[in-house]
Amino acid sequence: MSSEKSPGKFQKNTSGKRLSGIIANDYLTLHRRASEGAFVVWIAIIVPAELFNGFENVVYAVPESHAALCAGKGAGRILCEKAEGSGYSTDLCSYARIDIGTAFDGGKDSPTFGLPRPNLLVSNNNNCSLLVKWFDVYHRAWNVPHLVLDIPFCYEDQKESDFRYIMEQFGTLIRTIEEMSGQKFDIEKARESVKLSSEALKEWKRFLSFAAHRPSGITAFDSFVQMAPILTSRGSRQLLDHYRMLADETEEQVKSGIFPVPDEKYRLLWDNIAPWHQLRKMSGRLADLGANITSASYTYCIGALEGRYDPYMFDGGDPLAWLARLQNFSVCPHGLNLRGKAMKEVIAKNAIDGVIFASNRSCKVYSLMQMDQMRHIREELGIPCIMIDVDHADVRKYSEETAFTRLEALLEMIESRRAQ
Amino acid sequence: MKGFPACLEDLKAQGRTLVGCFPLYPPLELLHSFGLTPVVLWGMREDITSLALSDRHLQPYACGVARCLSELVISRGHELLDALFMYNACDTLRNLPEILQAALIRDGRELPLFRMHIPAVPLERPYAASYLKDRIRLLVRELEAFTGRPFSQERFLKSVSLYSRRRRLCGELEKAAAEGRFSFADCAGIILAGSRMPVEDHIPALESSIQSAGGRDVGGERPGVMLSGILPPPMILLETLEHSGLRVAANDIAALKRSYAYQPAETDDPETYYEDFYRNHYPCTTILPSADRRVDTIRRIVRERDVKGFIFIGEKFCEYEYFEIPEMEKMLRNEGVQVLQLEMSMDDILNLDAYRTRIEAFSEMLCQGRQCKEA
Ligand code: SF4
Ligand code: SF4
Repeated sequence: MSSEKSPGKFQKNTSGKRLSGIIANDYLTLHRRASEGAFVVWIAIIVPAELFNGFENVVYAVPESHAALCAGKGAGRILCEKAEGSGYSTDLCSYARIDIGTAFDGGKDSPTFGLPRPNLLVSNNNNCSLLVKWFDVYHRAWNVPHLVLDIPFCYEDQKESDFRYIMEQFGTLIRTIEEMSGQKFDIEKARESVKLSSEALKEWKRFLSFAAHRPSGITAFDSFVQMAPILTSRGSRQLLDHYRMLADETEEQVKSGIFPVPDEKYRLLWDNIAPWHQLRKMSGRLADLGANITSASYTYCIGALEGRYDPYMFDGGDPLAWLARLQNFSVCPHGLNLRGKAMKEVIAKNAIDGVIFASNRSCKVYSLMQMDQMRHIREELGIPCIMIDVDHADVRKYSEETAFTRLEALLEMIESRRAQ
Repeated sequence: MKGFPACLEDLKAQGRTLVGCFPLYPPLELLHSFGLTPVVLWGMREDITSLALSDRHLQPYACGVARCLSELVISRGHELLDALFMYNACDTLRNLPEILQAALIRDGRELPLFRMHIPAVPLERPYAASYLKDRIRLLVRELEAFTGRPFSQERFLKSVSLYSRRRRLCGELEKAAAEGRFSFADCAGIILAGSRMPVEDHIPALESSIQSAGGRDVGGERPGVMLSGILPPPMILLETLEHSGLRVAANDIAALKRSYAYQPAETDDPETYYEDFYRNHYPCTTILPSADRRVDTIRRIVRERDVKGFIFIGEKFCEYEYFEIPEMEKMLRNEGVQVLQLEMSMDDILNLDAYRTRIEAFSEMLCQGRQCKEA
């Protein structure tokens, strides 16, 4: 979250400092526990990490999250180049290239010294099947078992038959870990973890809800940064406490009249993954123009069912059922209509003036619907939209000047719409 | 050879009901058994001359297969096709159905769409197999409603036999090409034509090609190469390859070998048939559980067919293929096989000279010390 003194720019306040501590601690703990013999699972971001808390000594690492961190810390380029040097095409997702570049070079140049070697790889294909191919690289190079969770894509709400299919696969996942690690799964522990996750997600939405305030109490950049522990600390008390404090603190700031972009003239929505290498620059430069990207599809989808915004809360019943139903809590597994539905809701809720579609050639699943989505939003809501090219983690595929020429054009379009 | 749209025009003129199937491995037999003519919407690179309509919906970093398919469906789908079929073959294709439907609806046209999720986990798991069987049952019901005819086991078995025969013939023709008795360029053209042709017409075309093969010797002694990719390269490059002294000893092309290499046991039960079909399919980068078998399969073929050179025909932006190239390349180099990587994008396709030069250089390297070139 940003301070009053430097509009739009990142200044670490209490939540920011606490976040840095959590992330540093999460990676340190991961390495330590792995070195002490914990069973290590590498997972794709939507794999239900809460399940691992149902075991005594299982830790998980998220290569996508690690890649985002590397990109945010400026190591994206060098790590991508390592993967490319080993024959991986520059057209592959930059997360994958960063992670492969790290993994095959012993963690060098990674701010976390890479990730501890996995005992098991668990990917899923609802965000993308690319992840499966990416994890397959390690599976074959290191001879580590790779379990794929096959989650059918949603053109509409998750179907009952798909739900049951996912539940069966969770069973396979649990049995696999039991057999490989010799540990017994305890559903009560998983239930506790799910309860914490569900509560944390509610707080997450409370934090995001300050984007509805005028001026907005947050920027989407805050949400990009603050989503990290959802990936590293899922299902923990620490995550719940952090998000509760984050939301409280944001509320406090809004009450005290402290806003990231105090003279906010334009309220924007971002559609795609965060531009990790540009967070500071982009937020600062936009703030100077009186513009605030208050909302992002990348972060408002978290914790919600397909095409919705509100969190899907755990009812205390079967924790696996909650996890299975929430297996599509990111945007990529949703069809055009579902994505549009959620976006329209947020546009209305947060009084959005314009939408930035960040066309990201690294992430085709996110991007190859945007031209139509942009048309729908423009035509149905009359909201100005632009498309800019941004690779989320490979800075070499981004031109700041070209992007800002377009962003400024967007602000002009908003002005001329207001003048009408 | 006639272009893709022209072939569909001919079929429509015959009064056929055409189902445009998204690649790669749709359940053709089932569609056929309902009296429908399935066509697989790939291999159009040389027929689609403008991508103007597709470019209004897809960024240029969608692969050429998706862009050509979209262009055809948006521009002429309503007149050339009666329905669409798609399954979760890849990330790009799964994003398309709503885009295409929206484009069609915008122009006041709509096409019925059949969608199916094929498990991406091993079908050895009983629940995955039963999930697939449920999907097949659902599809049968949808096809019954669409065609107004009930499913018939007898007709299904007949369709299975036809496709089974076709796959066998494709294999025979490929073998003739591998032995230098038939040009691979012609072989690929004839096999690929099956995507846009009724199986009943494709079979005689394959038979007559096979019959003509014996008398031709296009150079059995030349160094053998293996091609791998989603689609074969443009015809002109295949011709360059053969004229420059190489022989295509084997292929691992999705639209060719990967499509016909495995034939399930013939049965009148579509659920059993497709379980077998997808479970034991020849390894393909897009059939996720099969990927582990790929390196070994290709190593075996390379050895059996004495392959000296391997050419990746990369479909630009197809991540499925590109992720596996480094590992495959390593194995091939260990086998002493030379490797050439070509990348086909919709833009590069307009200028084939650079590819020709690279193929010729590759051929010279493999042919060193031999008399390779055609007289
Ligand atoms: S392609 Fe997109 S969804 Fe898949 S790993 Fe990369 S960034 Fe994530
Ligand atoms: S070439 Fe690759 S990305 Fe394109 S449609 Fe085929 S499998 Fe999908």
